Amino acid sequence: MLKKLFTPRNLLIMAIGVAMIVVSQMTPFLKVPKPVVSLAAETILHIGSFTISNALLTAWLVMVVLIILALLATRNMPKDLERASNQELVPSGFQNFMEMVIEGIYNIAKSIGGAWTPKFFPIAATIFLFVLLSNWLGLLPGFGSIGILESPHAANVQGYEAVGAILTGTPAEAVEHAEAVAEDGHEYPGYVVVPFFRAPSTDLNFTLALGLISIALVQYFGVKALGPGYFKKFFDVSGFKKGAFDGIVGIFVGILELISEFARILSFGFRLFGNIFAGEVLLGVMAFLIPYFISLPFYGLELFVGFIQAAVFMMLTLVFFATATVGHGSEEHH
Amino acid sequence: MDLTALGTALAIGLGAIGPGIGIGILGSKAMEAIGRNPEAAGEIRTNMILGMAFAEAIAIYALVVALIIKFV
Repeated sequence: MLKKLFTPRNLLIMAIGVAMIVVSQMTPFLKVPKPVVSLAAETILHIGSFTISNALLTAWLVMVVLIILALLATRNMPKDLERASNQELVPSGFQNFMEMVIEGIYNIAKSIGGAWTPKFFPIAATIFLFVLLSNWLGLLPGFGSIGILESPHAANVQGYEAVGAILTGTPAEAVEHAEAVAEDGHEYPGYVVVPFFRAPSTDLNFTLALGLISIALVQYFGVKALGPGYFKKFFDVSGFKKGAFDGIVGIFVGILELISEFARILSFGFRLFGNIFAGEVLLGVMAFLIPYFISLPFYGLELFVGFIQAAVFMMLTLVFFATATVGHGSEEHH
Repeated sequence: MDLTALGTALAIGLGAIGPGIGIGILGSKAMEAIGRNPEAAGEIRTNMILGMAFAEAIAIYALVVALIIKFV
């Protein structure tokens, strides 16, 4: 086991890794500042009393990109599908690719939604594409690295020296502290970057809002399929016909159902947020430890995680929709 | 003595054990199932990912607690 680990090739790789750590820590121009881990999205501009955070700005960017993609994909589509010749109906290029994507999503929606597919599919596809693009956009160079230089707002955040508009990896010394306070009222030395763009999925507001939309639609489809009887599963008193004990158990199960409905919102929101936020922090820390090349495999990992999380969000939504439209299990017996 | 960092590490570290075991069992059983019935690979994979998402949710709760300890 150990012999296999210490082959010349592996030893060389380890040596290169250690050498890269040493070199990057010794040479000041190769150093990268430690990432500022900000749980909340930072405000970048104000319109009246309305603050616009970098995550909100990027969410709008995602929408614009999606609209442009949709326009590009449907540009060559014939206006009148009924009268179009077969030649015109054959897609090519980008439209072909998008039709492949949409068809894939449609097949998944159909396998879960069944007869409800026409209702479920637009929501599922929107969630998938929106979340996927939100996850992946944060991986683009410039996201999280281009922004306004500001002095750190908290004592535990390390500020760095800046050369012109570029933040260096040199930590700002405490000596500057007095100067900085004297000059323009800065409380902490050095600068940190407040990025213009930040992946929307790394903002809890975004993911919780999506979770709320999803669970609200679950209730909507449940009522649409089963009528007011849908809410019976939350307030189940039918057990009292069999006796007091069954009735109390039924009420207790209803309370559990109600709690699990709210837990779904939370787990929707935190699953997406946690995965993508942790990924961004991982990439930032890796770039800080060894500035070059080491981040590359983690980029691949984050691409995969972004895709899986978008797929999971879509599939869970579809499964919850499907279970809401099917009546409560015990009701079929009565 | 400030034990915040220790609390954060314990919260996420201990919280990741259970979901880790759960996801491992899910993955191993799914591989077994695919080995026995390769035609059902697509369906098994979909259900495996769904099951993993639920198991992972527990780890996410631990992560949230860790983040709350660290930043709030």
